[in-house]
Amino acid sequence: MASPAVPEPSSPAVISARGVVKRYGRTVALAGLDAIIGPGITGLLGSNGAGKTTFISLALGLRSRDAGELSVLGRDPETAGIDVRARIGYAPEHHDLPAELAATDFVRHLAEMHLLPRRAAVQRANDALWLVGLGEERFRPVGSMSTGQRQRVKLASAIVHDPELVLLDEPTDGLDPMQRTEMLALIRRIGTEFGMHIVVSSHHLEEVERICDAVVIVEGGEVVHAGTLAELRQGPEGLVIEVDERAGELASVLTAHGFDVTVDGNRLVLGAADDAYDAVRDAVADLGVGLRRLLPRGRTLEDVYLGAGG
Amino acid sequence: MTTQDARLFDLGYRRYDGPRDHPWRAIVTLAGFTARRVLGLGRGARHKVLPAITLAIAFLPALTSVLFSVLTEDILVDDLISYGEYTFIIGSALALFAALVAPEALCPDRRSGMLGLYLAGPLDRTRYLVAKGVAVFGVMLLITVGPLLFMLIAFVLAGFGPSGVETAELLLQILAVGITTALLYTALSMAVSSFTTRRAAAAIGVVLVIFVPASIVRAAIESAGAPNELDLLSSPLVVAELAYRIFGETQEGNDPVTQLSTWLVAGGVGAAILAGALVCWLRYRRLEAFR
Repeated sequence: MASPAVPEPSSPAVISARGVVKRYGRTVALAGLDAIIGPGITGLLGSNGAGKTTFISLALGLRSRDAGELSVLGRDPETAGIDVRARIGYAPEHHDLPAELAATDFVRHLAEMHLLPRRAAVQRANDALWLVGLGEERFRPVGSMSTGQRQRVKLASAIVHDPELVLLDEPTDGLDPMQRTEMLALIRRIGTEFGMHIVVSSHHLEEVERICDAVVIVEGGEVVHAGTLAELRQGPEGLVIEVDERAGELASVLTAHGFDVTVDGNRLVLGAADDAYDAVRDAVADLGVGLRRLLPRGRTLEDVYLGAGG
Repeated sequence: MTTQDARLFDLGYRRYDGPRDHPWRAIVTLAGFTARRVLGLGRGARHKVLPAITLAIAFLPALTSVLFSVLTEDILVDDLISYGEYTFIIGSALALFAALVAPEALCPDRRSGMLGLYLAGPLDRTRYLVAKGVAVFGVMLLITVGPLLFMLIAFVLAGFGPSGVETAELLLQILAVGITTALLYTALSMAVSSFTTRRAAAAIGVVLVIFVPASIVRAAIESAGAPNELDLLSSPLVVAELAYRIFGETQEGNDPVTQLSTWLVAGGVGAAILAGALVCWLRYRRLEAFR
C-alpha cells in the first residue's frame, strides 16, 4: 500500500503526528501514523479496529506512544497532558453515563471538572443542553434517556467548557437516520458557528462527506489518505453521463463534435471541454434519449476509501 | 422603560471568555461530588439508607453514653464508654462503612466509563486518586471523629468532661485517632476496590481484608506460637490499640498487640496505610481507562 503524502497545512496544525507507533503487546495499533489535522471539521475515517480510538487516546495523552512525535494544539499531550486536555472536549463512543444523574447535573459537573467556576458551569450546562436540543429534557436522569438523547448529552458535555478542539468518537453510533441527520447538522453548526476545531471519528463515509472539511483515512494503524475533501475528490476533469439507452449513438454524435468519449454500458465519460454541457444537452435532445445522470467527473470519498483498501 | 433600556440577558450558547479555575480545582470538585454521591446526597432515598444506618450504628454508643450520663446523676465515669475503647467498639461499623464508601467512590467510574471522561479532562491518574482519596477519607472522618467529638462536646456541656487545656488536649487526641483510623480504612478499602468494577464484590472484599487476616493471625499466634509481631497484620486491632495508647488508656485483656511497643504499633498502622495507598496507585497506573 502506498504511503500517502501528508498535506502541509496552510494554517497551523491542530494535531500533528509523525511516525506515531502504538503497540498493545504484540498487536500493533498504530504503525507509524503520519497525519496533520488542520482547523475546521476533520473526519477520522476507518473501519473498526483501524486505530481511530487509539489515536484519540494518544491525542488526549491518556496513553503513551511507543515511538514518533505528536503535537496537539501545539503541545505534546504526553508531557503537557493536563494543560492540553483542559482545552479539549471529548465525547466517548460508549453510552454508559451515570444513570441517576440529571443531564444538567452531569454536564455541569463536567464543566466544573474542566475548571469553569460553579456559576458559569451551571449557566453553560443549560446553554449547551439547549443548543443540542435537550433544553426541555435537561432535568431528566440520563439513564431514562434514549441513545440519541445520550449522544446529545455527551456532545453537550464535550462543548460546555468552550474547548478549542472537540474529539467526537462515533457520535452517531446507535442513532436512527433522522437522529443521525440532526446530530450531523449539530456538529457542523458547532464547528462553523462557534469556531471549534472538531475531529469526528467514524466509519460511515457518507457522514464524514456531509460535514467534514478534511478527512484522514486510517487503516491498519496507518494513514492511507489525508487531505481536504476537495483535494481527495479531485480527479480527471470532464463529465459523466448516464442514459437510459442508445449510449453508442450518443457517443458517436459527441465524437463527431470533437469530444473524447469513452462508453461503458449506458455510462459515458466525456473528456474536459468548455462547451461539454451544451453539447450533451443538444445531443440528448436530438436523439430523444432519457438522461439519468449528468455530473462532473471526479472521485467520491467512497472511491478514495475503497481505493485505499477499506 | 424605553427600548434603549432593554437588555438581552439570555444569549444561548456562546464562546466563553470568563475566568477559569486552577487545575487543582478539579480535585476539589471531584472530591466533593464523590462525597455527596457516597452519602446519597442529591440521590434517591435508597442511596441514603445504608450510609444513614451505618452512621447511626457508629453514633449509637456515643449517644447512649451521653444520655446515660445526663439522665443518671450518680453514674460512675468508669461505667461510661471511654474515648480509647470507642474505636474498638465501633470496629464493625467502621468496616461496614469502609465497605460502603470506597467501592461506591471508585467502582462505578470504571464500570460506567466515567473514569475515561475524567481522565480526558484536566486530571491525571494520580490527581484522580487524590480526589477520590480525599472524598473517602472525608466521609470516613464522619464516623471516626464524629462520635468522639459528639461525646466530648456533650460531656463538656453536661459538666462531665474536661475543661481548659485538658479539653484542647483531648480534642487533639480525638483528631489524631480519627485521622489515623480514617486513613487506614481509606487506604485498605480503596486498595481492595481498585481490583473490581463491581461494588458488591468490592464491599465483600473490604470486609474480608479487614477481618480475615485478624482471625488467621490470632489463631497462628495462639495455636502455633507465632510471634506477637504478627498481630500487626490485624489492621483493625492494631489501630484500636493505637487509639487506646493515644488516649493514654490500656486495653483490657492480654491480646498480643498489647505486648508490642507503641512505635511498633504506630509503625504497623503506618505501613498498612502506605501499603494500601501503594496498591491502589499501582493498580490505577496500569488500569485501562479508555474504551
